[in-house]
Amino acid sequence: MKIENKPEPGDLVEIFLIKNSYKGIFLESPESEKGIFLLKLDSGYNIGLNKKDIFEIKVLKKSSEKKEKIEVKKDKEKPNIAMIITGGTIAARLNPKKGGVDWLDTPESLFKFYPELFKIVNVTKVEVPFMKASEDMDYKDWQKIAKTAQKFLNDSNINGIIITHGTDTLHYTSAALSFFLKDLNKPVVLTYSQRSIDRASSDASLNLECAAIAAISDIAEVFIVGHASSNDDFCYALRGTKVRKLHSSRRDAFKPVNTEPIAKITRDTLNLLSNYKKRNTNKTRTDLKFEEKVALIKFYPGQDPDILEYYRKKGYKGIVIEMTGLGHVATKRARKGWTKKLKQIQDRGIVICAASQCINGRLDPLVYSNGLEIFSTGVIYLEDMLAETALVKLGWVLGHKEWAKNKDEVKKMMLRNIAGEFSDRLEN
Amino acid sequence: MELDYNTLGLKSGLEIHQQLDSSKLFCNCPSLLRKEEPKFTVKRKLHAVAGESGEIDVAAAHESLAEKEFTYEGYDTICLVELDEEPPHVVNKEALEIALQIALLLNCKIIPITQIMRKTVIDGSNTSGFQRTVLIARDGELEISSGKIGIATLCLEEDAARIIDKEKGIFRLDRLGIPLVEIATKADIKNPQQAKEAALKLGELLRLVKVKRGIGTIRQDVNLSIKGGQRVELKGFQDIRNIERAMEIEVQRQEGLVKQKKSIAEVRAVNSDGSSRFLRPLPGAARMYPETDLPLLKISREKIDKAKKEIQKVSKEELKIEGLSDDMIKLLSNHNKLDEFKEMLSIINNPLLIAKTILIFPKEIASKEKKSLAEVGKTLNRDVLGNVLENVAKGKIDEGNIKHILEKIVKGESYEGVIDNKKEDINFIEERIAKIIKEKPGLSINAYMGLVMKEFKGKISGQEANEIIRKYVK
Repeated sequence: MKIENKPEPGDLVEIFLIKNSYKGIFLESPESEKGIFLLKLDSGYNIGLNKKDIFEIKVLKKSSEKKEKIEVKKDKEKPNIAMIITGGTIAARLNPKKGGVDWLDTPESLFKFYPELFKIVNVTKVEVPFMKASEDMDYKDWQKIAKTAQKFLNDSNINGIIITHGTDTLHYTSAALSFFLKDLNKPVVLTYSQRSIDRASSDASLNLECAAIAAISDIAEVFIVGHASSNDDFCYALRGTKVRKLHSSRRDAFKPVNTEPIAKITRDTLNLLSNYKKRNTNKTRTDLKFEEKVALIKFYPGQDPDILEYYRKKGYKGIVIEMTGLGHVATKRARKGWTKKLKQIQDRGIVICAASQCINGRLDPLVYSNGLEIFSTGVIYLEDMLAETALVKLGWVLGHKEWAKNKDEVKKMMLRNIAGEFSDRLEN
Repeated sequence: MELDYNTLGLKSGLEIHQQLDSSKLFCNCPSLLRKEEPKFTVKRKLHAVAGESGEIDVAAAHESLAEKEFTYEGYDTICLVELDEEPPHVVNKEALEIALQIALLLNCKIIPITQIMRKTVIDGSNTSGFQRTVLIARDGELEISSGKIGIATLCLEEDAARIIDKEKGIFRLDRLGIPLVEIATKADIKNPQQAKEAALKLGELLRLVKVKRGIGTIRQDVNLSIKGGQRVELKGFQDIRNIERAMEIEVQRQEGLVKQKKSIAEVRAVNSDGSSRFLRPLPGAARMYPETDLPLLKISREKIDKAKKEIQKVSKEELKIEGLSDDMIKLLSNHNKLDEFKEMLSIINNPLLIAKTILIFPKEIASKEKKSLAEVGKTLNRDVLGNVLENVAKGKIDEGNIKHILEKIVKGESYEGVIDNKKEDINFIEERIAKIIKEKPGLSINAYMGLVMKEFKGKISGQEANEIIRKYVK
């Protein structure tokens, strides 16, 4: 292959094959297709050319991308908010000229895509602790977000914060922030998008506008704001410890579990639907202690309880088991019973908690003798707490040495309603 | 006034959109249009999205001047993909096969590696805010009587949602996602007659493969410009016969605009009288970006070979199955009568007779009456010929009588008049039947039927004979 000046994405090139040639804009090859050059034809269509078929590439014109200047003006009449951008669909944008991804990580780039947001508030501060797909995050990332949030929350010029985040593990982050941020004084709003922001139908606009309304509201809690239904009309505010991604692709992927939404938010109104903690003048603290050696496992029929041994050998301190129904795993009567192993493992100091695979509803080990048998081994039954929230809370509780050294103390903390993770009454 | 298209420098191309007969392009929903009340509705808003350099596409900007709320009507034949609530599934295999067959029929070069694109459309007709489209092939040709028309591109794309109420922004999702091929010719068309012929020819060719039939399943757009003017796209021809008229009118309008230096690139909707009205500015190439939810589309040798085999089979079957000679097929094709031929086949299953009726007889009559074939064709139009053949099928007209009847019509007798003559015939036949019954009394109705049909075969239908016999046999 003969290449005259190495082409850069965005350059106008002519690519010669044996029989014919194509003129177009040279694009970045997709990550998984390194053997292919992508070319944008005049018509706007992209085609691929096998590198091995290419005879010669001529650069006809270097790309001349001019940096545009966007000035975001502050309006003294509008309330100020801060944003923490962590990655995900809501902050990534395909660059059609080059084929790669651009990040929205400055007020200017945000303004370009979400001008409506700036009609409601001034986004005075934007911080980007990292840019990650949410499945790549762990507790250290939650800690970073919490620290940044604390800084903004204690800034008297800022009314509230919006955190944009990937959807996959958003509910873990929201649970973590609920436990990490103490004496919360202002709204901490997490939001997302399920449809990429480069399409006109993106759900990001409504989510962000409603998040802005929420961020200047009276609700001093950690909560997720997102589409309430498939319609682009209003969002729900969903408490950070009682929310779960329940759909892989719909706009209204996040649903409240075992609770009601805190509020219904349209582009210009906020209607409160349940109790909440009010905005106040506290100084927000962080409590970021976390024990990494905690696990979440899902019980399935016929599962060998030896899996628990694996975790013990690896030095785990606590395990949340997603149990069936009201809180069951295989008992003594099963071919592979768990009762004995659960007892052994707890005797060796590992904390075992139970959450329900049903997602909806409350655990109750006393209804069936099987439940009682498991309960009697000392497993902590976490009522109506979500399994994901339970994992985060267990890591947080065990991160505190003063609690972790005493099983009774751990149990007391796990069952204490710290951040709205329990509901006393279930209406549904 | 006859326009001199050469001097005006008319350059024109066609864009044909044809629905394919498979399930939807990016999901597994049936391609089914619904008439009932919708089962549910969804409300959405669309936002103009800035392009890379910050500019909003000119067409998209025009559409988004007022941010509008759209309502989408759904059914049990709609899934999350049409609702823009689930990523697209891989391209429907059957639709791709059909598109490849069409590409081959047009001698196009198929593009082995290509990318599914999103074409920004924010008039509400797509829930996603874009139409998915992929360039499958390019550089083909279509033969018409005056020569070859180049085929620039062939794309496979998804159809848009149906407008139910434009004012209120209500769309129905049934049509969204039905596979379409978009065939764009090069600007090789020099006058309106060529445009019409090319459109008819393309329509005929498309019917060789698995495409949808009926109103709204094929749509033609015309692109044109004259010397010194901008490109104009004419959209929404209700009737292909309108193409010539609409082009004439637009060329005249352009002539005026060019003189005043006011010609702009625009999309215009054609009215039923052939005039047109402004719809929106012509979109730029800025409105295309890749469908990031799908991998590159790779069209393998095997797929192309399979399509080739299918094409050979299709054309042979289509042409041979009717029992026509190759010459007759060619003749029908050259006179753009394949379509009409197939229509008539549904009336009467006698290919040779149809070929004679729509092609040979009109020719013979034309030369006998010293009229042009076109003139004869005006009188012996599809409706008349269809009606005659229908009566042949019903046994009301004898096969041998067709040419005679057509001649009478061309000579100026009304079609009804010709049929009236036939009524007299029936009165005469009835007399004869009464006589037969009188001469041979006491036979069964079936026996009389045998006698009557033997004598009047072709002149009277079995049902008519039966009715008359029953009048005289008690």
